[in-house]
Amino acid sequence: MGNPKAFLTIPRQEAGYRPVNDRLHDYGEVEQTLNNSDRRTQASRCMDCGVPFCHWACPIGNKQPEWQDMLYRGRWNDAYYVLEQTCDFPEFTGRVCPALCEKSCVLSLSIHEPVTIRENEVAIAEMAFNEGFIQPAKPIRNGKKVAVIGSGPAGLTVANQLNKKGFKVTVFEKDELPGGLLRYGIPNFKLGKVIVDRRIHLMMAEGVEFKTKTCVGKDIPAQKIVDSFDAVCIAIGCETPRDLAIEGRNLKGIHFAMELLSQQNRILQQMNVSKKDIIQAKDKHVLVIGGGDTGSDCVGTSNRHGAASVTQIEILPKPPADFNPETPWPMYPQILKTSSSHEEGCRRRWNLTTNKFIGEKGILKGVEIEEVEWMKEKDGDRPTMKPTGKKEVLNADLAFLSMGFIYPAQDNILKDLHLQTTERKNIATDANGLTSCPNVFACGDAASGASLVVRAMASGRTTAKAIEKYLLEK
Amino acid sequence: MQLATRLGSYKKFKEYTRLVDEKSDPVFLRDFLAYKKSTSIPITKVEPASEIMKRFVTGAMSYGSISQEAHETIALALNYIHGRSNTGEGGEDPARFKPREDGFSLRSAIKQIASGRFGVTTEYLVNADEIQIKIAQGAKPGEGGQLPGHKVNEIIARTRHSIPGISLISPPPHHDIYSIEDLAQLIFDLKNVNPSAEISVKLVSESGVGTIAAGVAKAKADRIVISGSDGGTGASPISSIRYAGTPPELGLSETQQTLVINGLRGQVRLQTDGQLKTGRDIIIMAMLGAEEFGFATSALLVLGCVMMRKCHLNTCPVGVATQDENLRKRFTGKHEYLVNFFSFLAEEVREYLAEMGYTKLENIIGRTDLLERKPLTSIKKHDHLDFSNLLYFPKESQYMPIHQTTRQVHRITEIKDRDIIRHAKESIENQRPVSLDYAIANTDRAVGAMLSGIIAQQYGHAGLPDNTLNVKFKGSAGQSFGAFLAHGIHFRLEGEANDYLGKGLCGGRISVMPPIRSTFVATENTIAGNTLLYGATSGEVYISGRVGERFCVRNSGAISVVEGVGDHCCEYMTGGRVVVLGETGRNFAAGMSGGVAYVWNKKGDFDFYCNMEMVELSLIEDNITRKELYELISKHHQYTGSQLAWKMMGQWDKYVEEFIKIVPIEYKRVLQEEQMRKLQQKIAQVQHDY
Repeated sequence: MGNPKAFLTIPRQEAGYRPVNDRLHDYGEVEQTLNNSDRRTQASRCMDCGVPFCHWACPIGNKQPEWQDMLYRGRWNDAYYVLEQTCDFPEFTGRVCPALCEKSCVLSLSIHEPVTIRENEVAIAEMAFNEGFIQPAKPIRNGKKVAVIGSGPAGLTVANQLNKKGFKVTVFEKDELPGGLLRYGIPNFKLGKVIVDRRIHLMMAEGVEFKTKTCVGKDIPAQKIVDSFDAVCIAIGCETPRDLAIEGRNLKGIHFAMELLSQQNRILQQMNVSKKDIIQAKDKHVLVIGGGDTGSDCVGTSNRHGAASVTQIEILPKPPADFNPETPWPMYPQILKTSSSHEEGCRRRWNLTTNKFIGEKGILKGVEIEEVEWMKEKDGDRPTMKPTGKKEVLNADLAFLSMGFIYPAQDNILKDLHLQTTERKNIATDANGLTSCPNVFACGDAASGASLVVRAMASGRTTAKAIEKYLLEK
Repeated sequence: MQLATRLGSYKKFKEYTRLVDEKSDPVFLRDFLAYKKSTSIPITKVEPASEIMKRFVTGAMSYGSISQEAHETIALALNYIHGRSNTGEGGEDPARFKPREDGFSLRSAIKQIASGRFGVTTEYLVNADEIQIKIAQGAKPGEGGQLPGHKVNEIIARTRHSIPGISLISPPPHHDIYSIEDLAQLIFDLKNVNPSAEISVKLVSESGVGTIAAGVAKAKADRIVISGSDGGTGASPISSIRYAGTPPELGLSETQQTLVINGLRGQVRLQTDGQLKTGRDIIIMAMLGAEEFGFATSALLVLGCVMMRKCHLNTCPVGVATQDENLRKRFTGKHEYLVNFFSFLAEEVREYLAEMGYTKLENIIGRTDLLERKPLTSIKKHDHLDFSNLLYFPKESQYMPIHQTTRQVHRITEIKDRDIIRHAKESIENQRPVSLDYAIANTDRAVGAMLSGIIAQQYGHAGLPDNTLNVKFKGSAGQSFGAFLAHGIHFRLEGEANDYLGKGLCGGRISVMPPIRSTFVATENTIAGNTLLYGATSGEVYISGRVGERFCVRNSGAISVVEGVGDHCCEYMTGGRVVVLGETGRNFAAGMSGGVAYVWNKKGDFDFYCNMEMVELSLIEDNITRKELYELISKHHQYTGSQLAWKMMGQWDKYVEEFIKIVPIEYKRVLQEEQMRKLQQKIAQVQHDY
């Protein structure tokens, strides 16, 4: 905070997205970057609050005022150093985080123009990679071995943290390459896969061992891993999608969102995808059921395929556009979110439930939807849904189900190790991530249910600390 | 808390208090304490919330440190619930003294008098229900406040009797309080100016505060505030926030015990503050001895403060602690929120009282026997804490009062002013000229204060027309002669004066001269005591003779001519004119940020005595200054018959060369800017006309 009054004179400047007609024809990242000088000017808007709400809101406790001050002063190296202390992968969070920090920035309260914290973060991380501030560290080994099952954001964080502390970490990944949802879930236009590769290579150079195409519980029994490592951390995510058990569900053309997204990511990475399974949205009418981020990714991917039309429906009511009194500052606002994918062309509708899929000769042709009402309950209980009877049939050749994820998918591991689960069928853990099995820990979505990348990373950090404590005290 | 007070939801408020009261590890001393369980009574039997809310006050946050919007909202809310808001140390816009059209008043009930005496005029004092003498601040004991120049805009400068752009520094001590007797004198002065106001003294929690409080009670304060270290201004230096001060519980408990044991508790009210947040905090403080409760940080938080801790930079992004026009527009606080907050607090207090089985808050005040140590916490070191002294319930409590039961006896019924007021009726009521003659003795203290209070009540700051009331005194005047003297009154004293002459002078004129038939040389003899014109805002003083130390400290507008001064003359001065026709003591003009002083540098050694940190010295160069100085000296002769003045006027060209002009560097810059602005305006006007 070089100039305490900078926020009064400098407006928020976002780098913005590439123009729609340009970005629609490729899968490259849609977000642009500012030049270094503008970036530093943006960082100077930080007011260095006495009580930094950005820091409070950040699940991993980033020290935004500190590194933004260093960024403003041009001390990129120091800025990265501070950033790295709390955030393992700023190049990921800087791209895909919904930026809880910006929502709770005091400038967001004051003039609805928060500091561009997320973009500043990624700028620091990119500078650090480009300028070679980041060099593989060679930790001194302490002789203990840890296995991490799953290589999504949570698993990678655990591996990274423990590896730096001197543990010998082996990461088991069921797919072809490590990265989990970062690689197979998030589309390239939001997070380029070179970014993921860059980090994986760095971790490999630092001594983390990745065993890909190894599905624990199938290719190798879970118990065997537990026996041969000092501690095991399960970070298998929460991959079982919520299904829609209605009439016509087994028609051709109805897919889970992740089928489309992971397939697209595989194709772009020249991995094997069997020709007959390929989902192609070109010239088709696409219906995305579910109004969340995954749904929005389906919208973006379908548009890139060249879909004839894309419609996204959501069962909940349309949230307010700019301010929601129920989630005042500094809480994360439940407001209408328009992603880059929505800008690219999409019809969005709310208060709609799906009654049945209508097909011809086993192929999806339309979907019957019905308008619903939400009745408010007293005392802030969840509102109840009431169908109104206003039915309608939407034309659809393809339907993507993106209604959230409910619990971990690889239940073999859970069964093999006799792990206790919660009511929602997630892995039950204590506050430190320890499961019912003595040296088995769990973290990320597998323990908490589906959530943000940054929450998975936060959980990974806590669990890594707990594992370290557990192993050093043993 | 913000959500609860905005939505008016008591349920949400309870969520907030639960978070505060049931934190996992104790932070404050009160977190170790709990009340003993007893049979409860139905809540309907407990006194109403409106009674409890009368015990709520807000902290002293000045208009200047916080924005006009925030300051007025707080005042409005507290007047609404019949609590009391505090002006802080910065005066108050007289427009706020009158109730608004809708019947609500923006007037702050408590008027604070701090070491800087900013904005302390007679009018300000008479518009108070309570006058608070701030000895120190809980968050930064021993330090004065500082309002940086860039926060001083037109209006703030006007209410503080200064000019925009000049830093306003509060000295660490009150220069008229060096002993408990001095404090008693100040309390007496204030009680004279406004007999209907209660006088409170704000102390900070510290070791030995009990003894001080006993002295303050004997000095006839009506109320004692024990301020804790836990709160604190957002702009305090980090060293003070972290390391200075002690918790309010310690100071409060010590004060309560000392006052009870010495039989003084019945005549004073005790108030405390320091991060009070919930109903539980209030009842614990009550049991430790407090009758009233102060809230500052929490009040600002309700109004939208987000603890930026940028109060000193004028960049508060939520418009609470800023004077920036644009930022002030971002203030979203409403008085309803504060009313909600205080009602919720009172409601929670009622719940606790019902649970404890008491119908009134008064019944538990000072009842440390109802408190006990909470079960031990998880932190091992806490086992070593011994609370027995904190919770000691004096055996004297059996027969001595443990809360306020009576009033202080202020001896202001038989004073000289009563007589003057009687005889000056014609002046006061009809503004007709009256001349009076009195003999005066040094037992006549604070002469003129009550008179000025009455005039200010009737005519406000303007006072009476020039030369309406002329009073001649002969003899030796007691302390605080002509204190807070209002405009239109001229006190002429033939004889000598004690300390504090012209304290808080507010437009009146005082002249002091040796008896007509005296044979000594006036310029070589001291005729008046120490600390004259402390905190004067306007008026004139002419003294034919030397005066003591600390002359014109914190003068912000009065004109004075004397013939020699002691040490520390013109310290922390922010305005006015001082002419010294004689020697000065050392440390002249320390911390002086405004006004101009002229010193007759007879021996040519003045620079040795002057503190050069903030001022620059020059000769009398331009005609305007020359003329001004001549004018002042000739007036001095006119009112005191000073022979020295006569001699100087006779050989003006010779003497004027020997004068030195002392101007603060900052003040000079502001004056020049002002002059340039005026010049440019004139040029623009001429061009426009042309």
